[in-house]
Amino acid sequence: MQNESVLLVEDDPSDFRLIQRAFNKLGERFEMFRLTNGDEAIAYLSGDDPYENRGAHPMPSMLLLDLKLPRRSGFEVLEWVRRQSSALSRLPVVVLTSSRHSVDINRAYDLGANSYLVKPATNSQLEDLASQFRNYWMSLNEFPSLAEQPRGMND
Amino acid sequence: MTDATLRTILLVEDEPTDVALMTRAFEKARVMNPVVHLVDGDEVLRYLAGKGEYADRVKYPLPAVILLDLKLPGATGMQILQWMRVQGEIRRIPVVVLTSDESPKTIDAAYDLGANSYLVKPGNPAEVSRMVQTIQQYWIKLNEPPQLVMRAEAE
Repeated sequence: MQNESVLLVEDDPSDFRLIQRAFNKLGERFEMFRLTNGDEAIAYLSGDDPYENRGAHPMPSMLLLDLKLPRRSGFEVLEWVRRQSSALSRLPVVVLTSSRHSVDINRAYDLGANSYLVKPATNSQLEDLASQFRNYWMSLNEFPSLAEQPRGMND
Repeated sequence: MTDATLRTILLVEDEPTDVALMTRAFEKARVMNPVVHLVDGDEVLRYLAGKGEYADRVKYPLPAVILLDLKLPGATGMQILQWMRVQGEIRRIPVVVLTSDESPKTIDAAYDLGANSYLVKPGNPAEVSRMVQTIQQYWIKLNEPPQLVMRAEAE
């Protein structure tokens, strides 16, 4: 089975630590990279400096995206992804946020979010979320093909 | 707010053996949500639009999630996805494609038309049962569905 990877865009360090710990408990089934703001996320997905090297900064299978981010917000990142004329526009994006407001939920779906998850209050609930996320996306879902990844001469 | 966990699941599937497998799996997973099962693509369009025999939104509520086969009598799954995209709030409803077609071209096309997720039907009943359980855990218990007004939409 292929190894899927998740790009986590989360600015809050304590939320990040909790999420990372919850996902790490699940073992090595998939990789997770982390960025802390919307501009970084767009630079990473574009393969702009300092992320040109796809060997070191591989295109993720999907995005796990907070909404309240410094610089460009999660909504702006989502909008940017769906606006791309390349295959990148297919990138599955799951929103993970503390907002349960229906305005935010509906806006995220209107902009093309694949799913909307609310950060739970306790660590054990977050672990449950991580394992359900893994069980669904990493074990069951078929991912689209994204932008051609530049391959080295060695393959 | 109504209890989101008891919202309707719309199952669109025309193969009787698959329907029987899925229905049994829903029962085994003790899914309490009402499951509306439709077999014909044109019927799905009428259901979602609240037209004809489905005008009563209380009796025929908009679903929290749609499990959509691609090969159907009447409108195809792809045509349903395409139609949903240009609707108002109906386009927010999460659609999980559930099909036997594993070709990357079909997978990409489904995401391009706004599918939220793409699953390939497993071969044996035990796997179907596990898949249904995971779908329910993720899309009913974990995911925040869009907030939809219970009314029929004008074309």
